[in-house]
Amino acid sequence: MNGRFDEFASGSFKWLLFLLLASFPMLTVSAFPDAAAGAVSAITVTVTPDSVLVGDRIHCTIGVRHTANDVVSLEGIDSLTVQPFALINRKQSSAPLALPGIRQERFVFELAVFGSGWQPIPPFTVVLRNSEGKVITREACKPSSAVFVRALTDSTMRELRPIKPPLKPLIPLLLLLPVVLGVFGVAGLVLLLLFLLKRSVRTSAEKVDPCQVAQRKLRKLGSRLSAGMPPPECYEELSNIMRTFLEKHYRIRALEAVTQEIERDLKKLGVAGYESIMNLLAQADLVKFADSRPDAEESRQSLRKAEEVIRSARIPNISEE
Amino acid sequence: MKHAVELEELGMRITDASRFIEKAEAQLSRRVIGQHVVIRRIFIAMLVNGHVLLEGVPGLAKTLIIRTFAAAMNLKFQRIQFTPDMLPADLIGTMIYNPKDLEFYPRKGPVFANVILADEINRSPAKVQSALLEAMQERQVTIGTQTFPLQEPFLVLATQNPIEHEGTYVLPEAQVDRFMMKVLVDYPTYDEELEIMLQSATNATAAPIIPVVQPDDIARARALIDLIYVDPRVQRYIVDLVVASRKPAQYGIASLEAMIEYGASPRASIFLLLASKAHAFLQHRAYITPEDVKAIAYDTLRHRIRPGYEAEADNIKPDDIIRQILQHVQVP
Repeated sequence: MNGRFDEFASGSFKWLLFLLLASFPMLTVSAFPDAAAGAVSAITVTVTPDSVLVGDRIHCTIGVRHTANDVVSLEGIDSLTVQPFALINRKQSSAPLALPGIRQERFVFELAVFGSGWQPIPPFTVVLRNSEGKVITREACKPSSAVFVRALTDSTMRELRPIKPPLKPLIPLLLLLPVVLGVFGVAGLVLLLLFLLKRSVRTSAEKVDPCQVAQRKLRKLGSRLSAGMPPPECYEELSNIMRTFLEKHYRIRALEAVTQEIERDLKKLGVAGYESIMNLLAQADLVKFADSRPDAEESRQSLRKAEEVIRSARIPNISEE
Repeated sequence: MKHAVELEELGMRITDASRFIEKAEAQLSRRVIGQHVVIRRIFIAMLVNGHVLLEGVPGLAKTLIIRTFAAAMNLKFQRIQFTPDMLPADLIGTMIYNPKDLEFYPRKGPVFANVILADEINRSPAKVQSALLEAMQERQVTIGTQTFPLQEPFLVLATQNPIEHEGTYVLPEAQVDRFMMKVLVDYPTYDEELEIMLQSATNATAAPIIPVVQPDDIARARALIDLIYVDPRVQRYIVDLVVASRKPAQYGIASLEAMIEYGASPRASIFLLLASKAHAFLQHRAYITPEDVKAIAYDTLRHRIRPGYEAEADNIKPDDIIRQILQHVQVP
């Protein structure tokens, strides 16, 4: 009995093995029914990144599994049909999978993105051809992937942003106001003081009578002459005093002018008694340039004459006032 | 007031010795109407052995003044018209071969005269200009191997036309510097013009010029000019004026610093002093005053100061610069 059973068992195993081997191609086909029929088994679409600024670029990768004998191509993705995307670049690569007879076709599209908001990846068609180039199948695909496009400007804003509350100063303005007013007040006071000071200096300078100054200088010169000053030096000093007096009193250029020029200017101004002034200057010129040697008495006389000239020049001014 | 005795005496001698100038001026006024300043400057140059560059448009009696001056001063006059094809030999003379005795003899050129009118000096090339200017400087001329001294007084009066520059050779600064004065000959006044017209528009011959100067008058005047007293203050004033043309900022005229490319040379100080002395002589004075210096400052300095680029852009002339200097440098 056992022997029969063993025979039967061994015979059944052989049959089972035979049936299994015989049914393998059928199992394979049933596992991949589309591939066996020359159809696309799987299409995958991935987009990276999924959120960009307008004008940025994305990479859209489309993967298609198919039987090794078939040729895969994509239709519907070109520069015209992908709007609002712009096709920048496309790459295609093919790689075998672990399963025998199955390959993965990989399409990578570089797209520039325009528009705003959610932008769906445009639909495309996967075409399978046999080795002879004959279309076996054509399968339309509408991917669910999309990319969010952010606009650069606020034109896409749909609601108003809340207005930020104004920043509050650390020190309240009302507290600063007296300080600011104080600073302005002090500055104004300083300016006023400067103005008054300048005016008073100018007025005092104007008040200095050139006649007075000249007379004072002449008196000093007289005392120096009495103290033994050499007469030529006295004349030189006298000439300087007279020229400075003429320049200040008559407002003529006397310090840089020669005697003739001074005479011409005084004549032009109609100065009464200019001859006396010219005599004094001529005498001084003789001492300075002609090596004349006056004595002390002559020098004193000249000083007296000079004082008279200055006194007479002062009188009209006083009467005018 | 007691004057220095020597100066008093000298003053009297100067008055006496300068009479011939008045006589000569009287002769000149018979032919030349106006141009008193130009005539005075020529006398000044003659008195101190200087030379004068006259600048003025044609027709201002430059030649007439010089010719009459030479005639009145009893001096030998030569007029040399400078042309582009002129050679130095045409001016100074050359060696002439005598076939009889088979020897070369020097033939003196027109430069051998007392008063030379170098008419339009800038029409000749540099070699001719320099031949004349060398004669001016050295007061002698070498022909072949022989050197001949020039006659005294030797006065060169060169003219140049300021408005016509085409075909001219501009005198280099170094050459211009040798002229004691550059005198600008200006148009006559209205009345002078009227007198010139009436005097010249006639067929009658011009009144003859009588030589009024004795041969030793000029030498005596020159000797007296050398004795004229120059106070150290005036000496310093002269130097101040010249230095102010070089370093105006030192004299409170910093605005002129950019206006002057280069200032007056030391020759300016020398000629300013000499001309001031001659000016004082003409005023019968035995001493110089700053008035004398100021009077001749423009004529002595204008060709020695070169205005800079900025001055030219602002149309500032040397006379404007000199005016500024005279107004700012303090008179002693």
